Amino acid sequence: MNNVNAAEVFESSIADIDRAQVKVDVRNLDFFYGASRALKGVSIPFARNKVTALIGPSGCGKSTLLRTLNRMYALYPGQKATGEIMLDGENILGPRVDLARLRARVGMVFQKPTPFPMSIYDNVAFGVRLYENLSKPDMDARVEEALTRAALWDEVKDKLKGPGLGLSGGQQQRLCVARGVAVRPEVLLLDEPTSALDPISSAKLEDTVTRLKADHTIVIVTHNLGQAARVSDYTGFMYLGELVEFGATQDVFTRPATSRTSDYITGRFG
Amino acid sequence: MTAASAKVARRRAADLAFKVFCTIVTLAALAALATILWSLISQGLPGINLRLFTQSTPAPGSQGGLANAIMGSLMMCVLAMVMALVVGVLAGTWLAEYGGRSAYGSVVRFLNDVLLSAPSILVGLFVYEIVVAPLHSFSGFAGAVALALLAVPVITRTTEDVLLLQAATLREAGVALGAPLSFVIRTVLWRSARSGLLTGALLAFARISGETAPLLFTALNNQFFSLDMRHPTANLPVVIFNFALSAYDDWRQLAWSGALLIAATVLTVTVVARIVAKEQSRS
Repeated sequence: MNNVNAAEVFESSIADIDRAQVKVDVRNLDFFYGASRALKGVSIPFARNKVTALIGPSGCGKSTLLRTLNRMYALYPGQKATGEIMLDGENILGPRVDLARLRARVGMVFQKPTPFPMSIYDNVAFGVRLYENLSKPDMDARVEEALTRAALWDEVKDKLKGPGLGLSGGQQQRLCVARGVAVRPEVLLLDEPTSALDPISSAKLEDTVTRLKADHTIVIVTHNLGQAARVSDYTGFMYLGELVEFGATQDVFTRPATSRTSDYITGRFG
Repeated sequence: MTAASAKVARRRAADLAFKVFCTIVTLAALAALATILWSLISQGLPGINLRLFTQSTPAPGSQGGLANAIMGSLMMCVLAMVMALVVGVLAGTWLAEYGGRSAYGSVVRFLNDVLLSAPSILVGLFVYEIVVAPLHSFSGFAGAVALALLAVPVITRTTEDVLLLQAATLREAGVALGAPLSFVIRTVLWRSARSGLLTGALLAFARISGETAPLLFTALNNQFFSLDMRHPTANLPVVIFNFALSAYDDWRQLAWSGALLIAATVLTVTVVARIVAKEQSRS
């Protein structure tokens, strides 16, 4: 099995997912930082209401791939993506895409907690206020719902007017998750969301991720293989800008199709 | 004594000599500062009284204060800061967030740095040409424009610096929620950088509050109390300049007191800026 070429593996694993269940379909994606090519012909489906983990050594392009899904890279001149990323059948790399609308549909949580310098309540309401005119009671309900879904409500319900920066690191990260889910995005991108957190906070966040997939399609980049195994339904292994292997998480971890994948998950490199 | 230990001994001696030299030079610099402060306080303090703040500059030999000059300086500085903050914060934001990496951005940054160290008398002459001469009148407004020109580069520079200090992920986090970048800058980045922005503003204020040269050609002076900035306006630096060189003891006393007022204001503002900056680094 170890000698199977990556393209064949990819073709076979694609077949595992029902096409109708694909929320985001990345096709033949290339990415350039100026002249350097960071992604090479990556094709990967992200299934609706599932968690897909992207794993691989540093610099393999997994964060780059994540940042194309909401076109975050467009903030920086000189960065360019070619290929297709179909979100519900619409190519989000197209020229007429409204980036703000796209990012409201595709939320993102970052490696380091990034609470805004305002109250907990205003942090959560920030994104909602951009697109919806909610009455005070409706907004209160939305904030409570988002904080509850991020498993933070019980800890902050008495200090909603307090500063977001006054929370602990783990709480700040769950606040960022709450802020992200408050706008009800269809897709949620998590870029190493627990790498700056202690084990207990990480476990809480993983629980949150598992519960969130009922309402969102989730893509998570992680260096923590145990975390990928615990929270994800599908796993993509990337190496040097290519998608080496993709499949159901259980298969990738127990019966990896390529030697590079098995070397990585058994800790021989990475 | 071996060669090695001789070398060590020589190095120790050189080290000691250097330390002593540095200490002496530092003490000399501090002594100069202390002398300035001492003469300011000893000569200025006797003239600090209520009259200073309630009465206008007198004719020689009669009683008076600096109320007109204090009010004029205050009005010009405040108006200058309002103008400079609008231009400086926006220019600094543009450099940090939008155009800073372009060739045009580099030119703007370079010219701003040149302005930062431009002789203030040139700024005064420039404003004389573009404001005073066409309007045929010295005015407090022209003085404020000159002071604003001096404050803008300071504010532009600090704004760019503190915005670049904000984490890139904070910017991205706002954008990731579907907010346009301009909205994120206004609601998140400026707020996050607010103590840095305030520090920059206070430093700019300290810089302009003692400037005399640009006011000589623009605000000129006024011996009466006036709130009308369309006409020549009294101000502390020019009053100090005129009174200090006069032959009258009471005028010279007022000049000292005015100088002490400016020094105390600048000192207070600088200390406040320091405290604010410390708050920023703690959070």
